Amino acid sequence: MTEDGNPMEIDEAAAAVSSGSEEISTETLRQYYQRLFPFSPYFLWLNHTSSPSTMFTHREFSFTINDGIYLRYQSFKTLDELQREVQRLVPSKIDIGAVFTAQPRNAKSLQPGAFKPVSKELVFDVDLTDYDEIRTCCQGGNICKLCWRFMVVAMHVVDRALREDFGFENLLWVYSGRRGVHCWVSDKRAQALDDAGRKAVAGYLGLIRGGAEQARKVALSQRQALHPHIKRSLDIIEEYFEDILLVDQEILLTRDRWLKVLAAIPDEDIRKTLDAKWSKHPDRSSVEKWSELIDVIDKHASKSRAKSWLGLFERSMMLQLAYPRLDENVSIHANHLLKSPFCVHPKTGRVCTPIANDAFDSFDPLAAPTLGQLLRELNSASSEATSLAPYIATFDSFAHTLQASAAQDTEPSQKGSLEF
Amino acid sequence: MFNQRTAKAEGGSAAPEVVRHSRYPTRLTMYDKAPALEVSIEEFETFALDRLQVLRAIEDAQLRAKGEDDMRKRISEALERHLPLHTNRSRLPSRQLMAERRKDHVSHFILRLAFSRTEELRSWFLRYECALLKHRFREADTAERQELLQTARLQLALVPQAMRDEVLGDADAFYSPQEQLFEVDFERVLDLVMRAQVVLHAGKAYVPQAEIAALLVHEFRQRLTRALAVCAKALPQMDEDERLVPVLQNMSNQSARSEYRSSTAAGAVSADSVDSLGANFPLCMQHLHAQLLKDHHLRHGGRMQLGLFLKGIGLSLQEALVYWRRAFNSMTDDQFQKGYAYNIRHNYGMEGRRADYAPYSCHRIIMTNPPGPGDHHGCPFRHFAPERLRAALHQDSLADPDVREIADLAAAGHYQVACTRHLEAKLRRRPSIQGQEAPSAPVTSPNQFFDLCTGSVVSPSASLSA
Repeated sequence: MTEDGNPMEIDEAAAAVSSGSEEISTETLRQYYQRLFPFSPYFLWLNHTSSPSTMFTHREFSFTINDGIYLRYQSFKTLDELQREVQRLVPSKIDIGAVFTAQPRNAKSLQPGAFKPVSKELVFDVDLTDYDEIRTCCQGGNICKLCWRFMVVAMHVVDRALREDFGFENLLWVYSGRRGVHCWVSDKRAQALDDAGRKAVAGYLGLIRGGAEQARKVALSQRQALHPHIKRSLDIIEEYFEDILLVDQEILLTRDRWLKVLAAIPDEDIRKTLDAKWSKHPDRSSVEKWSELIDVIDKHASKSRAKSWLGLFERSMMLQLAYPRLDENVSIHANHLLKSPFCVHPKTGRVCTPIANDAFDSFDPLAAPTLGQLLRELNSASSEATSLAPYIATFDSFAHTLQASAAQDTEPSQKGSLEF
Repeated sequence: MFNQRTAKAEGGSAAPEVVRHSRYPTRLTMYDKAPALEVSIEEFETFALDRLQVLRAIEDAQLRAKGEDDMRKRISEALERHLPLHTNRSRLPSRQLMAERRKDHVSHFILRLAFSRTEELRSWFLRYECALLKHRFREADTAERQELLQTARLQLALVPQAMRDEVLGDADAFYSPQEQLFEVDFERVLDLVMRAQVVLHAGKAYVPQAEIAALLVHEFRQRLTRALAVCAKALPQMDEDERLVPVLQNMSNQSARSEYRSSTAAGAVSADSVDSLGANFPLCMQHLHAQLLKDHHLRHGGRMQLGLFLKGIGLSLQEALVYWRRAFNSMTDDQFQKGYAYNIRHNYGMEGRRADYAPYSCHRIIMTNPPGPGDHHGCPFRHFAPERLRAALHQDSLADPDVREIADLAAAGHYQVACTRHLEAKLRRRPSIQGQEAPSAPVTSPNQFFDLCTGSVVSPSASLSA
């Protein structure tokens, strides 16, 4: 692969642009890749050690160039090679795939079957479009401060399950640049999972079942005690439920909205009672209506022993409305591509920044730096650091944690005491 | 490093002397050793075909059975018919016991050979051999289970009763206090993890005694996977054996449910005529089609399911591009070309790995990739809420009794039978194809439904009896 070194004077390029996607051009992106993209921690994050191993050389990268051409199965022997190619092609998007049995760029010359994924970070993707049937503030690609809080809940729930239940330690959360979050788990054990293992973890974490034609999406077992993961998730959700669903989203405000919620109640009498009641007093707040709903359910529950779903209704409804909606397809295949951290989202111009482990609640996606803003900061010369700096610091320290734990892993085996 | 207690079998088996010292002292086995004996070519074929019947019956039972008990019953019946395997307590003459065990042993190894050829065959065989072992383990008595666990040499760490509180804390309430718990890496019990049936803590799963089969099956799957890989490498050397190779190929060809292959030539359906054919679609495709017309969009799962179906009924690539472009009328040409055209060409084998993709079978639609929020794909009989299903059937002008029967079948888990009844009800309303024999075998793919509904083929039962 050739590259043409092209140091350019680009001071004017950034001056004209205003905000968001209009600021993205090959020129501004090139500046970004030349002056801002954190290549060196990026390499360490993927490779875990300072000299290139197969974790880097056999890794698939995929570039989107000229807004629509996908170049799959790119791979690089060194960080330098990757950096030069990125700066030459100026991709509008970089995706990361699996580590394969051979260098992906040679894939076509290999026997079919000889080219297989062997490892990859375990990844998760949560996207606000999957909350469209719940959120009332925005739809589709739009987000605001109110609906972003669903992502806050998602990060807390998934993060704790992965750490406490699965024992994973190296989790990197990344803002996807527009309307969701990604999680990259870099523990050796997570990377080694085959597709069946990934499917099992995703299944364990996935509670929301059923498509657009199924009103009840969470089925809790009536025979068994609640699973500890569900209990813990409910504890987390309870902290947020009233604020997000009732106060911010007002999910019971209008008849359209409350009918959607009532549809999940299997008992027609209860549905009709509540609908009639609220139709008489439509101006009551969602908080009031929710407590009426729970009262009615509780009364029915104490009367009839047979209808045991009633006892679980409040909890299953809270899960249905606030439990993370994971895109399982992203998680279950090791060779699924996922957008790389530190890409610039083509639609919003925002950088896909890491979200620090202690910043789930304070992270503001609408304050994530945009390409235009960063280039203006670079050119204003007032200070060394841009507003990307704190995110790079988070990333850098995460990458060094990986390096430290990789070093720890190799030590005992050098002494020759393999323990099982 | 094994200071943990290891589960051990206790008590001897009740096997008579001659059995205990025979080649097959126990009934259940992990098939660790290949049979070193002579098998006639006739036996070779009948043994293998009988076992294949059993594996297929398991596949069938997983799809159709209503509940655990029904599934067990179906599998037990198939085993009784094709591959009986009596216990040492069964007072049958030891010659018969030996013959049964020999057949079980030999047939497993023949199929291992036959199914090692491709990745797809290996995974089919693996799945149903594991299901078979699991079934037999569940049905076995305590002594037999212990024997098998012992031969499998599973390394299990028992959580001492006194330590449970310390290890599990509040989570201990998830299990009953009498149950013994084993601590294992979560990777060894993925099925239990996926369904959240075990408590996890720091990467360890706590497996109750009752779920020990999951561990056994995991161990078996690991060993069989390795064995199949070895087998696949050895296979080319067998090509010279003219007697065996055709038999083996024939066997594996008969296995996995054949994909629907369209009998219709591409080009039989144009972009303009798709909408008018909608009345002949099965419910899943009617629903996707209606949603597409309503929203001018479908998410990925829906595009795949409907797109390949339309390909199967004869929509050519060119017409498909026209059809989908028109359907997605709220986006720009540019968006369509960048976001969707590639996938359509991909389905027709014109991009990527250039595979000519077949339409989805019912099995695939029902068993894999269930719809998530905002998704419209899937099988309505499986994935719709009961009221929604009834409403959809009414909308297709079905009479009340039919709707009730179909909804009941769906609720009982007979999704394909429900779909077949739907087809029959539709056909009854049409005098034009009265001569058409009502299908009695369940519909196995949406395209087959369409073919039967338009009368372009005879039903499977009719063609069988002809």
